[in-house]
Amino acid sequence: MSAAEDQADVDRVLAGDVAAFEGIVRRWQGPLVNLAYRFSHDRARAEDMAQEAFLRAYRALARWRREAAFSTWLFALAANLYRSELRRIPARVLPLEDVPELHGAAGFDAALEAEERDRSVRRALLALPAKYREALILFYFHEQDISAAAASLGIPEGTVKARLSRGREILRGKLSKVVAEGLVSKEVP
Amino acid sequence: MTGDEFDRILAREETLEPSSGFAAAVMSAVEREAATPAAIPFPWRRALPGLAAAAVAFVSLGVAAAVFFVRSAGAGSAQVPGAISAPAISSWGAALDAAKHSGVGWVALALVLSLVCVKVSMRLAE
Repeated sequence: MSAAEDQADVDRVLAGDVAAFEGIVRRWQGPLVNLAYRFSHDRARAEDMAQEAFLRAYRALARWRREAAFSTWLFALAANLYRSELRRIPARVLPLEDVPELHGAAGFDAALEAEERDRSVRRALLALPAKYREALILFYFHEQDISAAAASLGIPEGTVKARLSRGREILRGKLSKVVAEGLVSKEVP
Repeated sequence: MTGDEFDRILAREETLEPSSGFAAAVMSAVEREAATPAAIPFPWRRALPGLAAAAVAFVSLGVAAAVFFVRSAGAGSAQVPGAISAPAISSWGAALDAAKHSGVGWVALALVLSLVCVKVSMRLAE
């Protein structure tokens, strides 16, 4: 993705060439839809939210201060929208206490078991309180880059670190039994 | 559960491809947005003299009410310390009576209705 292309497209849109916005949409549709999907775990809703994010970006294009990368600005705008949307209408997730736990792996295929465990971890992540959930989602979306997650959330890096740590602690508390059972079952020959 | 395990599981989130018509749908929404005339901004410059006059009127009213109350209280305290005097009560009563006869209630109602109309119009224009 080229920052120069983004800048050129933004300049053209601001000069009145609405069609130039398509370049921005094509370059960023994948990341914005995927980020929305991580928040909602619902494909249709993810696309609706990403579309709204692009519309808001179009409306606010003149407010992009070029000292930050266009992508940083766009992700912050989108993350802010997704967070408010999810607070307005929460994703349909199980409460943290109801995340299903895996039991003995006897006779169970190891790959399926690992898949189920991963799914349980993701469900538990979505059931976390919003501030921990958002920090974790953005941290992993930005490939574990704390400064990028902090920029998207508009909060200091130290706060992101604290939320990641607390969020992981809550997840660990809920899932330790699940994973411990899983790991033990893997060690058994 | 270790941090590495969380990292491994949560970093390996399934990746979606936007549906084929997504970019076109976004662009048609953007074009609709571009074709819509911009919302008319609130005419602050024109409203400013009126707002300033209203502010002056409210402040004057407050000052007049305070002066009236202090005078009434002063007259009352000459008789019984800490008590509201009969002349003060009768002055307040007279003021309320005058307000009732001059239609202050209707004026207040009209102001509230105007405020509601402005607020609703601004909400609809957003």
